[in-house]
Amino acid sequence: MFFNRSRPPRVSGIALLCGVALLVVSTVGAARTLDTKYGDVEVDGTPERVVTLYEGALDAAVALGATPVAAIATRGGDGVARYMSDRVGAIDIVGTARETNIEAVVAQRPDLILASSRLTQKQYALLSKIAHTIVPANDTFASDAWQQETRLYGAALGRGEQAESLIAQYEARAAAIRARVSDDTSAKLVRWMPQGPLVMADIIFSSRVLADAGFDVDDDALVPQGRPHSDPLSLENVDRIDSDWLFLATLNADGEKALETARTSPAFTRLNVVKRDQVVPVDGQLWTSASGPIAAEAILDDIAGALGVDAPR
Amino acid sequence: MSTVRTLSNARDPVAPPAGTWRIGLSRGPTQRAVLIDRRTVAANGLLALLLAAVALASLCLGSVPIAPQAALRAIFGQGDAMDVFVIQELRLARVEAALLTGAAFSLAGCLTQTLARNRLATPGIIGIDNGATAFAVATVTGVSAHFAPAVMALAGAATATAVTFSLAGGIGTRGYRFIVAGLGVGAAFRAVTHLMLARAPIDDANAAYAWTVGSLNAPEAGSIALLAAGLVVGMVAALMLARSLAVLRFSDATAQTLGINVRGCRLAALAIAVVLSALAVAVAGPVALVALMGPEIARHLSSHRGVPLVGAALAGAAIMTAADLAGRLLLAPIEIPVGLVTAVVGGPFLLWILLRPGHRIAP
Amino acid sequence: MSRPPAARTHTRRRPGLWFALLTAALALVCIASLMFGAGSTGPITSLATLLHAPAGDGGWASSGEARFVIESLRGPRTIVGVLVGAALGVAGALLQAVTRNPLAEPGLLGVSAGSVLAVALALAFGESAATLRVPVAQLGALAGCMAVLAAARLRGVGNDPVRLVLAGAVLSGVLDALTYMILLVDERTADEIRFWIVGSLAGRRLTDVTALLPGLAIAAAIVVAIARPLAALALGERVATGLGHRPRLVRFMVVIAVALLVGSATAIAGLIAFVGLVAPFAARALAGPDVRRTLWLCLPAGALMVVTADIVSRLVVRPSELPIGVLTALIGAPVLVAVVRLRRLPSL
Repeated sequence: MFFNRSRPPRVSGIALLCGVALLVVSTVGAARTLDTKYGDVEVDGTPERVVTLYEGALDAAVALGATPVAAIATRGGDGVARYMSDRVGAIDIVGTARETNIEAVVAQRPDLILASSRLTQKQYALLSKIAHTIVPANDTFASDAWQQETRLYGAALGRGEQAESLIAQYEARAAAIRARVSDDTSAKLVRWMPQGPLVMADIIFSSRVLADAGFDVDDDALVPQGRPHSDPLSLENVDRIDSDWLFLATLNADGEKALETARTSPAFTRLNVVKRDQVVPVDGQLWTSASGPIAAEAILDDIAGALGVDAPR
Repeated sequence: MSTVRTLSNARDPVAPPAGTWRIGLSRGPTQRAVLIDRRTVAANGLLALLLAAVALASLCLGSVPIAPQAALRAIFGQGDAMDVFVIQELRLARVEAALLTGAAFSLAGCLTQTLARNRLATPGIIGIDNGATAFAVATVTGVSAHFAPAVMALAGAATATAVTFSLAGGIGTRGYRFIVAGLGVGAAFRAVTHLMLARAPIDDANAAYAWTVGSLNAPEAGSIALLAAGLVVGMVAALMLARSLAVLRFSDATAQTLGINVRGCRLAALAIAVVLSALAVAVAGPVALVALMGPEIARHLSSHRGVPLVGAALAGAAIMTAADLAGRLLLAPIEIPVGLVTAVVGGPFLLWILLRPGHRIAP
Repeated sequence: MSRPPAARTHTRRRPGLWFALLTAALALVCIASLMFGAGSTGPITSLATLLHAPAGDGGWASSGEARFVIESLRGPRTIVGVLVGAALGVAGALLQAVTRNPLAEPGLLGVSAGSVLAVALALAFGESAATLRVPVAQLGALAGCMAVLAAARLRGVGNDPVRLVLAGAVLSGVLDALTYMILLVDERTADEIRFWIVGSLAGRRLTDVTALLPGLAIAAAIVVAIARPLAALALGERVATGLGHRPRLVRFMVVIAVALLVGSATAIAGLIAFVGLVAPFAARALAGPDVRRTLWLCLPAGALMVVTADIVSRLVVRPSELPIGVLTALIGAPVLVAVVRLRRLPSL
C-alpha cells in the first residue's frame, strides 16, 4: 500500500515511501496515475492553472515552485496566511475554508484543483467536472501526513523530484535541531483562553514538527481521540500543561499578545515553565492551522530561535 | 362543473362588490359563485413578474456572468460548456432552493401570524428553527450519529414542535401558550447549539456555521424535492383554510358566530406552518425574517378582504432569491450566507413595522 | 430600605424571613462553591484550608495549592457569580415591573443580544477589547432596552405580555444575525466569541470585578430611588401620576438601570439567560407582587441560581468545565413554560 495507516518503524516507512514515490517521479511529464481519496486520477503534462482549496496545498504547491492562480483565504484573514504571503505574492481568492465559492473556481478555468482530505464527495463530484481534483487519501493526523500530501501534490504538478528534495532538506534540518535537544525534553502547544487553555493534540501538524525536532510532545490524553484540540481546560487543572517548553498560540498571528493576556492569569504565572521563562509565543496562523513544507520550515525557524540553536536552511 | 362564465351584467341578481370579479359556476337551479378580488390578482401578477425577473437575474449574475439568452439555452444543455455547467450544476439548484424555501417560510409565517393575530408571530422565533439547527449542528460537529444534516434538521424541527406541544399542553388562545412554550424550548435548543459549537474543533464549527445562519450554498437535491412536494400540499391545504382564516383575523366570537371551528382551524394552520418551516429549514437552515417580510409585503399589495396566502408565498420566494443573489455578489468571491442578508435587510424593516406611530400590530 | 411596616404585609407572606432564608442558602452555596471544583483540590482539603486559613500559616491544611485554588480561582468566580446573578435577577424584576409583564426577561427581550452585538463589534474593531468591554456591553444593552421599550409603548403591545416577548424575540433574532454577520467577516472574533457567548465565570479576576463596580453602584442607587414610584406604576399610569410620580422619568431610569446591570453581567460572564425570569418568578411566589419586596428577594435568588449553576458546570465534565449559560437555559426554559401555564398572564 502507498499510504500506511498503521505506524511502521519510522525509517523503513520513509524508505518505502521514497521508493514508491521515485517510481512516480520517473514518469514525470508523461501521463501519471494518482491514488486519491476518490479513486485514481490520471494527470497529463504540466498543469498551468492550478487552484488550491486548502492552505496545505497552497503551501506545498508554492514550495514546489508552482504558481497557483487562486486559493482560499486563511482562517481569521482575508488573504493567504502571513507566514507565506511574500512567497505567494498576488493571488485570487475563491472563498474561505468555511465555504468555497465553486463559481469563482470555475471562473478561473483551472486545469488542476488541489483540495484537502476534508472535501466532501458531493463537492468532489462538482469540482472534478471542472478539472482534475486531487484529494489526499491519507489520514489527516498520520505522523507523516504533510509529507504524504506534498508527494501527492508534487506528483500531480509534475514536480515529484522537488517534493523529495524538500522533504529531505526538512528531515536534515530537523535532525540538526534534534541533536541539540536533550532527551525527554517535553513540550506542549496550547491556545490560551480567558477561561482556560485549549491543549492542541499531539497528532496535529505542528506537534509532529516539534516531535521531529526532538521534543517529547504529549497531550496527556486531554484531547479526545481524533480531535485537533481539547475543550478549554479548567484553570484548576492548568498544571497539566506544565512541561519543559510551552508554545502559546492564538488563532491570529499575534502570539505575543496571547502571552501578555495569559500572564494576567494567576493560574498561568504559577506554572513552572512560566517561572523558567520557557514559554514561546507563536503565530497561530502558522502553528494551529497551517501545514506543508514552507510551514514546517517556518516552525523549525521558531523552534531554533526559541532554543537559541543555529540551524540554517 | 359544467359552465364557467363571468358575470358582470345586469341580469345578475346580486352585483359583485366593487373591485371584484365574480365567477359563477352554475349547474341547473343552484348557483355557486366565487368572488375574485381584482387587486389581489394584480398584486399576485406583479409579484410573479418580479419573481421571474429576480430568478433570471440570479441565473445570469455571479463570478461567471452569463447573458440572459445564453442562460436560458444553458438550462436545456445548449451553448458553452462552462455556461451549461454553471447553470445546471450550480445556479439552477440554488434558484430552485431559494424559490421553494422562500415560499415555504413566508407561507408558514402568514399562517402563524394570522392564527396568533400578531405580525411578529413567525415560526422561526417559536423554537422550530432552533430545534432544527441544534440537530443539524450535532451531525456536523460529530456529536450524533452519521445522518445527513438535512435529515437531522427535519428531525430537530419535529422534536422541538413535539416538546413544545407537550409542554404547552395544547395551543391555547390565539396559540399564545404554544408560542411562549416554543420560545422557551427554542432558547434551550439555542443554548445546546452554542455548547456544541464551543466544544467542536474549529473546522467542524466552521462547517456547522451555515446551519446556524441559513445558507443556500449547498442545498441537498433530496430535501429540495421533499420541500417541493410539501409546499404543493401545504399550499392546497392552506387555500382550503383561506375562508376560515380570513374570518379568524377578527375576534374569536365573530369567527364562532360565523360558524368557524376556531380551534380546529388554528390547529390545522399551525400544523401546516410547522411542516413547511421544518422542510424549508432542512434545505436552507434557519433563514431569518423572510416569514415576517413576505406576508407583510403581500398584505400591503393585496386587498384587505382576505389572507394573502398566494401573495405571501410569491413575495417570500422573491425576497429569498434576491437576498441570495445579493449575498453572492456583494463581497464576491466571499459569499454572504442568505440568512445574514435577510436579517440585515429585515432588521430595519422590522423596526419600521414596530415603530411606525399608531400602527396596529395585528395583521 | 423601604420595607413597609408589618401590619401592611400579607400575614402569610413574610418577605423578611424569606430574604433571610435565601441569603442563608446563598451563603451555604458560596461555601460549597469554594469547596468543589474541576481540579484535584477536593472538598475536604478545601474545607480544612478554609477553616485554618484565617488563623494563619502553618499546617498541612494551608498547603499552597489549596489556598491558591480557593483564593485565586474559586473565590473570584464565586464573587463574580453572586454579582452577576444579583444583577440579572434585579434587572429582570425591573423590566417586569415597568412593562407589567411577567415574561419580560433581558435575554428574551433582546437586551442581552444587544450587548453581545456591541462586544462583537468592539472585538472586531479594537485590539484593546478587553478593557473596552464593560462600557461597550452597557451601551449595547441600552440600545436593546430602548428598542424593546419602544415596542412596548406601541398600541396593542404594551398591555399584552406575549406580544412584547414576541417583539423581543424578533429583535434578539435580528441582533444575533448582525453578530453573526461580524463573525462571518472576522473569524478570529468568531473564535473568541464562540467561547465567550456560552457564558462562563472561569478565569475572571477581582480586578475585572472592580471595572463593574461603578456601573453596579449607579444601578443600585437608581433602584433604591425608584422602587416606590415603580410600585405605584404597577397600579397604572394614572394612579402613579396621581400619587405625584412621573412615569416617563421612572421608565427612563429603569432603562438606564437595566442596561447597566445587564451590560455589566454580560461583559464579565457572557450570555447567561433566564436568570432574570427565574429569580423574579421565585421572588413573587414567595413575597407577592409588590415590586419593592421582590426586588430585594431577587438579589439572593439570582445569585443563588448562578452560583449553583456554576458549581454544577465545574463538576460534570472534568477536567474541563461546562459553559454556565447552557445550564441556566436548561433550568429556565421549563420555568418559562410554567409561568405561562400556571398564571393568568396579564396579571402583573
